[in-house]
Amino acid sequence: MKRSARGAGTEASSGLLLVSPPAIYALVLLAAPLATIILYSFFTDGYLEVIREFTFANYRETWVNPLYRTVMLRSLLVSVLVTLATVLLAFPVAYFVSFHVDPSRKSLWLFLITIPFWTSYLIRVFLWKVILGYNGVVNSGLLSLGIIDEPLTFLLYNTNSVVITLAHAYAPFAILPIFVALEKIDRSLLEAGQDLGETRFATFCRVTLPLAMPGVVASVLIVFIPTIGDYVTPQLVGGPEGRMVANLIQLQYLRLDNYPLGSAIAVSAMGIVAVISLIFLFLTRRYLKGPK
Amino acid sequence: MIPKPAVSDQTMIEFKDVHKWYGDYHALRGITATIRAGEFFSLLGPSGCGKTTLLRTIAGFEGISEGVVLIDGKDVADVPANKRPTNMVFQSYAIFPHLTVAQNVGFGLRKQRLAKADLDARVAEALEMVGLKGYGARAAHALSGGQRQRVALARALILKPKVLLLDEPLSALDKKMREQMQVELIKLQRQVGITFILVTHDQEEALVMSDRIAVMFEGEIAQLSDAETLYRRPNSRRVADFIGTMNFLPAEVISETAGSIEVEAQGFGRIHVDPKQAASEAPGKSASIGFRPETLTILHEGQQATDREVGATIEEVVYYGDMTYYDVKIDGTEKPVRLSMRNVFGRPVLDIGMRTRIAWSPGALVLFR
Repeated sequence: MKRSARGAGTEASSGLLLVSPPAIYALVLLAAPLATIILYSFFTDGYLEVIREFTFANYRETWVNPLYRTVMLRSLLVSVLVTLATVLLAFPVAYFVSFHVDPSRKSLWLFLITIPFWTSYLIRVFLWKVILGYNGVVNSGLLSLGIIDEPLTFLLYNTNSVVITLAHAYAPFAILPIFVALEKIDRSLLEAGQDLGETRFATFCRVTLPLAMPGVVASVLIVFIPTIGDYVTPQLVGGPEGRMVANLIQLQYLRLDNYPLGSAIAVSAMGIVAVISLIFLFLTRRYLKGPK
Repeated sequence: MIPKPAVSDQTMIEFKDVHKWYGDYHALRGITATIRAGEFFSLLGPSGCGKTTLLRTIAGFEGISEGVVLIDGKDVADVPANKRPTNMVFQSYAIFPHLTVAQNVGFGLRKQRLAKADLDARVAEALEMVGLKGYGARAAHALSGGQRQRVALARALILKPKVLLLDEPLSALDKKMREQMQVELIKLQRQVGITFILVTHDQEEALVMSDRIAVMFEGEIAQLSDAETLYRRPNSRRVADFIGTMNFLPAEVISETAGSIEVEAQGFGRIHVDPKQAASEAPGKSASIGFRPETLTILHEGQQATDREVGATIEEVVYYGDMTYYDVKIDGTEKPVRLSMRNVFGRPVLDIGMRTRIAWSPGALVLFR
């Protein structure tokens, strides 16, 4: 008895030893800064310094000031649009690769899907600027074809361009979880659906889609959570009306030197994302309790 | 006990020269057969013989390259799987893991737009039929193999198909469970009176369950008959080899008349074989006579053979409890043959190397030539 207990003890301690480097890393570089920001959000802003005086004023400002509220709501809207666009476009791609690509070619297709990652995120965002700009690829193409007389201005420096750019950037993140969920579906289930009198489409709705839902839910979260805090894309292609909450936080911190307000906005945004994600998980919970 | 209903003469399924090609691979090579309404029909053969492909052409999952498939008199070439009057029990059972047992069983009833109470009643009835009364609310993925199979059966039978297709439904079960399910399936088939078509590679299963069996090899039906004919009068060495155990000894045809074939068989000497007991083999192959292990009897001391007897030496003894298998070398032959004896109380099991006398009858011999 004693021996096994001691054995378990050494096993646990060696396990702790193994996880300690990443655990310490995470603690120092994630938890500590997070705690600092939460702390800052309750401090008072002074001239060129942060006064350590507890206050709710930053949160009041964040939630009451219409400017911040507008930007927050716009960020949410953009994230929802990006998530919708990405997941809706990713599903057919994942479906095609899973169901219609020869099994021996599937890894090649997945490899091709990840090719955008070979260039830096910044460069990809910049490329969209080239494509969507006033003298960009789309406009000059349409002009030379005679479809339009003057360049379209709604393409760049607004919400549209932010949605397009982010949807493209996050496509692989959305495709892969859906692909994995589709791959796990036993193909005889689809035959069974048809055998029981349902058309292909009805079988898709009643069998394939519900079984792919864990992947869809994962995709939604993977796209939604990071996009709301994206800073580079709105900065480069968003223009004044495409500004999102991360740009606002940057403005408070670096331009206006208002660390407490910036922190309060950041913590609020984090809270909103967390609450929305939890609500989403709650609504889709019946798809997530799978077998095994 | 439900009496066995007489199988009607009405044809349920008809194959007319059905061919199936996968690229260069000729999977079905001219299948012509009819399956009667209300029949328990088996497609039996080794893996890769095309039996599952043939079953899937009935279900509509597999198109055919040439020929005609008729279900209840209708050519089904242009009828998709979801419009065919057939339902299938899949080898993997294909139970929808995201649905409950009741939702699985009621899956195909959606189109009938039943009231909730009617739907529940139909589902409960179907579950009771397969012995799963009260299981409706369970999650499908929490079931055992045998229970999944019952759900698959209920889900198919609830739609009252004209034909139930069973694709190796018992292969995933352990031996005890399999034997139990065999009996239950037979009973169920009698109860519902639907045509059952079973695909299996297990000859014993086919013999136990079927009214008629089609033995398939390499995309062709080698023999189509009832179980007893298949066992007693296989029409080729290949079928004889596949169904149970068959001993072969070289033989030579001496003369042939309308009523009798005279054969010189190794070990048995000159005998006359009824032409009905003669299986035609591809020409050019040498003839042989075949017999099942239980058609020969070891005579104990002083016992008289009812027909004829030969001397033999025991080479191997395999004790099975109720039976003993002996490999014996009959005098005048080169290789041992297997025969089986029921272990009657009081009779000793013989030993290797012992001399013995064996009773046999020309009527039990099959001629392959």
